[in-house]
Amino acid sequence: MNNEFDRRDFLKVLGWSGTAAALSGCGNGMVENGKETVVSYVETNDYMIPSVSVYFNSTCAQCDAGCSIMGRVREGRVLKLEGNPNSAINRGKTCGLGQAGVQHHYNPDRVREPLLRTGDQGEAVTWDKAYALIADKLKGVSGEEIAFLTGGVSGHLKVLLGNYLDSFGCKNHFVYEAIAPAVVRAANKKSYGVEMPRFNINKAKVVLSFGADFLGAWVSPVHFSQQYAQFRKGVNGQRGVLVQIESKMTITGANADRWLVVRPGTEGILALGIINALGSHGVTIPGDVASAVKGYGKERVSKDTGVSAEQIDKIAALLKARTPSLVLVGNAAEGYAHGSQNAAAINLLNQVLGNVGKTVEAPAIVPFPQMAPATGNTASLKTLNDGLAAGKYKVLFSYAANPVFTAPGAMKFRDNMAKAGFKVAFAHYLDETAMQADLVLPLDSALEDWGTQVPEYMAEGAQINIQQPLMETLHPDTRGMGDILLALIKQRRAEEYKKFDDFYGYLRSAVLNNKSALGSGSIADDDIFWNETLSKGIVKLPGAAHASLSVKSGVAGLALPQPAAIDAQYPFQLIPHVTGSLRDGRHTNQPWLQESPDPMTTIVWDSWVEIHPKRAAELGIQEGDIVEVTGKNGSVKVQAYLFPGIHPDAISIPLGRGHEAMGRYAKGYGVNPFQILDMVFDKETGELALHETRVKISKTGERVIVVKDEGPVGGKQLGQKIVPLMTTDKVNLSKEI
Amino acid sequence: MHRFLRFSVLFTGLLFALGSYVTEATQSEPADPGVEGSAIDKAAKEMSDSGGSAFSEWESKYFASGPDNVGPAIEQPIEFPHFRHAGDHDKGGMEINCMYCHTYARRSLVAGIPPVQKCIGCHQSIDSVRDKPRIKKLFEYWDAKKAIPWKKVHDLPDFVRFSHERHVQRFIFQLNRPVQEVCGYCHGDVKTMTVARRQRLLSMGFCVTCHEINHPVTAEGGTPIGDQKYWYSMRKPITDASVMLKAQGPNDCWECHK
Amino acid sequence: MSLSTLFADYSQFRHRHPDGDVPHNPYKWAMAIDLDACSGCNACAVACYAENNLPVVGREKFSHGQAMHWMRIERYWDEDGREFPDQGARFLPMLCQQCEAAPCETVCPVGATNHTPDGLNSQVYNRCIGSRYCSSNCPYKVRYFNWWDYPTTDNVWPAEMNMQLNPDVTVRSKGVMEKCTFCMQRLRQAESDAKTQGRLVHDGEVQTACQQACPTSAISFGNLVDPESKVHKQWRAQQVDLDKHEQAKDEEPGGSDLRGYRIYEFLAPYPSIMYLERVRETEI
Repeated sequence: MNNEFDRRDFLKVLGWSGTAAALSGCGNGMVENGKETVVSYVETNDYMIPSVSVYFNSTCAQCDAGCSIMGRVREGRVLKLEGNPNSAINRGKTCGLGQAGVQHHYNPDRVREPLLRTGDQGEAVTWDKAYALIADKLKGVSGEEIAFLTGGVSGHLKVLLGNYLDSFGCKNHFVYEAIAPAVVRAANKKSYGVEMPRFNINKAKVVLSFGADFLGAWVSPVHFSQQYAQFRKGVNGQRGVLVQIESKMTITGANADRWLVVRPGTEGILALGIINALGSHGVTIPGDVASAVKGYGKERVSKDTGVSAEQIDKIAALLKARTPSLVLVGNAAEGYAHGSQNAAAINLLNQVLGNVGKTVEAPAIVPFPQMAPATGNTASLKTLNDGLAAGKYKVLFSYAANPVFTAPGAMKFRDNMAKAGFKVAFAHYLDETAMQADLVLPLDSALEDWGTQVPEYMAEGAQINIQQPLMETLHPDTRGMGDILLALIKQRRAEEYKKFDDFYGYLRSAVLNNKSALGSGSIADDDIFWNETLSKGIVKLPGAAHASLSVKSGVAGLALPQPAAIDAQYPFQLIPHVTGSLRDGRHTNQPWLQESPDPMTTIVWDSWVEIHPKRAAELGIQEGDIVEVTGKNGSVKVQAYLFPGIHPDAISIPLGRGHEAMGRYAKGYGVNPFQILDMVFDKETGELALHETRVKISKTGERVIVVKDEGPVGGKQLGQKIVPLMTTDKVNLSKEI
Repeated sequence: MHRFLRFSVLFTGLLFALGSYVTEATQSEPADPGVEGSAIDKAAKEMSDSGGSAFSEWESKYFASGPDNVGPAIEQPIEFPHFRHAGDHDKGGMEINCMYCHTYARRSLVAGIPPVQKCIGCHQSIDSVRDKPRIKKLFEYWDAKKAIPWKKVHDLPDFVRFSHERHVQRFIFQLNRPVQEVCGYCHGDVKTMTVARRQRLLSMGFCVTCHEINHPVTAEGGTPIGDQKYWYSMRKPITDASVMLKAQGPNDCWECHK
Repeated sequence: MSLSTLFADYSQFRHRHPDGDVPHNPYKWAMAIDLDACSGCNACAVACYAENNLPVVGREKFSHGQAMHWMRIERYWDEDGREFPDQGARFLPMLCQQCEAAPCETVCPVGATNHTPDGLNSQVYNRCIGSRYCSSNCPYKVRYFNWWDYPTTDNVWPAEMNMQLNPDVTVRSKGVMEKCTFCMQRLRQAESDAKTQGRLVHDGEVQTACQQACPTSAISFGNLVDPESKVHKQWRAQQVDLDKHEQAKDEEPGGSDLRGYRIYEFLAPYPSIMYLERVRETEI
């Protein structure tokens, strides 16, 4: 036995017993009697009970679906957002983006006071000075020399904005959304007579979606998700079938019964091929359509698209057997120079299958056309950019848009914006566009502001969403956009607007003036009706008329191009994909969203490029390799991720990261694929064709470990029964409750 | 040497552990009122619907009355005299119910501090004291619409969830005990104080002592005692056929730790 | 603690709900998650961050595996070597299964994790000394350790962001283990409100944060011993028994046509969450 004993051993031994002794109580070290102050009020309302939550209804502004939210408020501050069960759009549910709305409100990087740029520096100024400066800059400026850029707007804010621009005789209201279903809108207008009909996913037995990511980020994901849940429960125990056709797997594609990878751009050809196959299966095809699809036999279509003839047959058989079905078009339209053609061909399927009037229905219309949403698109940005380049504008206003970040680099928007005489940005954060402005006016957050909102997609009956503050304004020097516009319009039309102290007054009076049209019924008292409206958070208009659908096949104009040959120098097609949480990058500074793993790759806090494993193997690329993705208009360096859900000729980088400004949680994370997009536009609508960028990949020799939530075995069950799959021929859904 | 040290430490540890078991076992649980016809047991039988503090003799063993001043004396912005407002008539007090001011005790986790509005509600009409210094200070706050920055006297760690509602509902509304007595279990005899001062330990042990008590919920034969039938239906007590049913208060960690 | 209570507790250990003549708490909280409805959107995960004061750890700590997502969505692929995932992916929301015989409860050296009478696996932060034995034992790896002191870490809860913190939930400091609590703070509040009214909590009256957010309503949650509750009816219809680690229906020849199952059931932790299998159409 070793008799040597040294101090280290002694301490080791003693340490063990020392811990045992210390395990006794920890005393009352954490109480702070006499140090904290108590929640104390001067006057209280009945409902202000400390520790009891009060819920206020408002409208989520994280995207423009217009879900209604219910804020949990305790001791005067909003803590969490839930869905408002009253709304037909989201029925009490929220998405992750909606939940992050509190981080938009409490964000430490919000602009707190008006900022004026002098040279390279910015100084804080008072609102009075800011307003005076604007009035000064607008003196003697004609309507054509003013440009007002916004995102999608609706409701009373849109009315006020319209009146303000009207006071100058200015027609330059550019409504810009970097990601918008604008091509789909135009195609729907041609095919159905309305831009956004009502899609009844829950009534369909089969949903065939050409890149419409309706569970992720397309149009109204929370609403569609609910319909999807009903769709899966099915009719009479027969579960709905989802077939997704796209070049890169979206979250909707991940939930499909059959996900078909298709050669980018050939979705229209596939649609016509399916119509042709339907004809062969005995479905009656109208004469003009039949002759148009004559040349789209299975062999040709299979060769062009990469979808096997057998699959085309199966789809046709399924569509014939199970009606009604529903065909949706998403990025098949938005992605390509012939996107409108693709959309027209795909919409044709709904007509041929007799879905119009069943799963494609007329939407209800809010009977206040001036409040109807001005929807955004990318063509407007091009017009604005051209005007800026030509030096047309003396004053540029920017609200709810970040074109310096989202415009393709080739547009040189940043440089062109500098040519405008005086640039005013209404902003929550110092994002890239605000950084280029001369005057930044800080906005109240969406949870502090008043407003009305009319969503583009009407879920069921017509409704107007009410936005009300969920708590007192956080920062003393921010203002609501409505209040700012009112102050500005008072500079021009003082007499007309002087009776309104603030936007709240304007809104209230507008609502009360139209009380009966807004469903006040027997409520005679103004205050009661107003409070009821606020308390519900939405105004339902059950009697509202529906639009009328006028269906046109549009076969005559159909001219789908052959799939493009692969450019040897730029062999890949870049698909910048839209994630449900980051979208066009407007919420990247909300840390919950940065840390929320991407559903398909589980990657966080960074960008990545998805490459099909086979192509990656050919190029010798492994996960984590930093590759340079180079197009004609620039390049980005980004980590590679091997992803089986993508066409081998395509690669995909997510949108939303790569910020150079916008606060501590956004700046410096990832890369921005917007910057390197090729300037290709849809021929009919002028919309930016998002998937038409051709790139090449080269390894840089660097390698990183990808920061992701899945482990190294990523996606394997290792023989365990973790997520088994049951097939419809085995399961008995009618036994379920 | 090594082995010896390790062994001796282990042995000492074992001794301690065993010792604590032994001492716990011999130390009787807090007087079990349901067994052996003790004085407390009789008191339980006597307890009627109209309440009354049948337990005060027993309780006096655990909840000392009279100022203990366990906590520090805390200076408040206004030296509010509880004895004036809550004190007995014969001592010049107005016997105002605790919950008149600390309104939320019956429906919230916290009892609440009254807003200035509550004080003004009466004092706007009490001319006789309008010029007293503390009242003048009160009106200064009211006129400036400024909340009085009261300091917290009874604080619990942030990981503790204590519900006034549950205790007030049980002792005052269900067992019909006098309000001042019930509030006094934990806050002491407030009607003898000016500003409040902590009178009890308010540690976990203090709370658990009460919660661990096996108190009768039915008389022999199973008839619930008075309002205990409400309690009986909510949480089925441990059944032992020969004696009256007993139950403990909540002892689930997550009842109080959040 | 005395020897007698030690033995009494041990015999009650692995006591299941409900059981014959042994009276039980009026509540046993359980969940059923429909994997065919789950779209993998992560709304539940973000809602959990909001409700439970979960810290955002940032990129570097995330890369070390120190993320704090009590609810996480796992994504699985088909493993038959197909070139494209043409049957889609499978999403699994994984959270603390609130096991009736939790492997984590037995190994805590200080007894910081226990079983509540209403069927939850409790975690008491101020008792935890951070041995991490519990997370080591957890087969689902749903226990998360506070490797850092997030309340004092820069940019986790900077000014104003800290106003969003939920006062009903402790903000954890360094060295303690945490995990999903089935929104215990909501349960306690609902139970308390119901008790003041002299009744039990109705089905649907209390929702967990994840359940409330889920756009496809894939999560159902409620009181398993309430025969009127949706969760009870679902478990009953799926023929899944809380007390068994092998279900009778699985012994049927050809397997069951019911979708309900529990993960790692054979390890006999008796989890309180039943999953409904994802379904794929055979016609396409």
